[in-house]
Amino acid sequence: MPMYGDLGNKLVQHAKRTQILPHLPPYQTELVRTVTREVRDLHRDVDSLLEPFQGSFDPAADPASACTLLVNHLSMRRNKRCLLAYHRTRTEKLEVLVWNGSDVLDLSAQQAGGANGVPGANDGGTSSLSPQEEDYVRQYGDLLAAYKGQWTDVDLTGSLEPARDLFIDVRVLKDAGEIQTEYGAINLTKNSQFYVRQGDVERLIAQGYLQKLG
Amino acid sequence: MDIDDILRDVDPVIHTIPREKRDLQDLTRAWVAERSAPELLHWPSDGLFERINNSIRRQIEKVEEMTGDMDPKTNFALIVIQTELERFKYLVRSYLRARIAKIDRHTLHYLSSDELRSRLSEMELAYATRHQALLHNHYLSSFLSSFPPGLQNLNDTAGNISMIDTPDLESAVFIRLLRDTLVEGRGVDSDGRLEMEESDIVILRWADAKPLVQLGNAELV
Repeated sequence: MPMYGDLGNKLVQHAKRTQILPHLPPYQTELVRTVTREVRDLHRDVDSLLEPFQGSFDPAADPASACTLLVNHLSMRRNKRCLLAYHRTRTEKLEVLVWNGSDVLDLSAQQAGGANGVPGANDGGTSSLSPQEEDYVRQYGDLLAAYKGQWTDVDLTGSLEPARDLFIDVRVLKDAGEIQTEYGAINLTKNSQFYVRQGDVERLIAQGYLQKLG
Repeated sequence: MDIDDILRDVDPVIHTIPREKRDLQDLTRAWVAERSAPELLHWPSDGLFERINNSIRRQIEKVEEMTGDMDPKTNFALIVIQTELERFKYLVRSYLRARIAKIDRHTLHYLSSDELRSRLSEMELAYATRHQALLHNHYLSSFLSSFPPGLQNLNDTAGNISMIDTPDLESAVFIRLLRDTLVEGRGVDSDGRLEMEESDIVILRWADAKPLVQLGNAELV
């Protein structure tokens, strides 16, 4: 039997790794399940240990059992924290993706059919998100859209760099079709270069269609 | 803060009338303060953001009006106005994002008491409540629901360790004094107190600086 907390530690290591990776590694379904099971087992141990006492357990009279109880108790809480930390790290990462406007669900679905170098894509065969995470992303996206919608004139997900120039040079990296600006329509074909208003193309830069020059 | 912000402070665009100029200054202040304070500050309750939203909308309309004009002079004015508009929007955006980031970090903490809740705007409160609910749901469906009932809470304080993270109020901030005052700060080895003059800049713990800022004797920089 592995030591208490070994698996929880592994989860924390995964979380730590997730923080520095540019993409989201696959969800550790098995690990999460085992750690959760460990908590349930520990809880059962505690219950069966306490059962003969019928609620009148005196720690001083039986220090050995008291110690077991304490260790079990702490291990359960530790595992819970590990699980929370792991999930929180991942959801934070997902939230960043949502803020950046990348289509997270699309990305994780694309991975099955060959990734295309977009950040967030990885080399795994299946989706790197758990079904619960997919739900979460969808709901958080709605939440963000609702909050953003109350600030219609200020694009909250826009650039956090102060604007220096109104117009910038951009090069088109991928065909993005035609966009409408107040100076007329521009057809964004690959490898062409334009001098455009930053506000009009910010989104496309973030999504990797355009590259800002200079 | 870069040179442009300073220039904008002393030399706002000519057509600004005092009220709007004051709003811009208030916004800039709030923005600087929010970005340097380690905890969430009060949402300005005097309708500052309603006014700012209105002026942004007015400027956008003006830009649309002027766009059709081919006169080079209007064109130049248009560029000035648009640039100013972009920067204005940047301030608002950056301010809101700084707040959201803090709220997201310590959601449960800011939702835990009425005093703290009152710092959030209505929209932020709605956002924070919903976000926390989403997270809790996510934890529940991912693993928490198979936990023993006693362990399903997210706000345990067992073993003297609260599960609710709080912002670090002891981290250091820079403040500029707006009046001559006595500044008291706690140090690692010994505490210090110092009679300081207006426009002096000091660095001290936020917990010590907070009363000064709240009394209006100092501002964050």
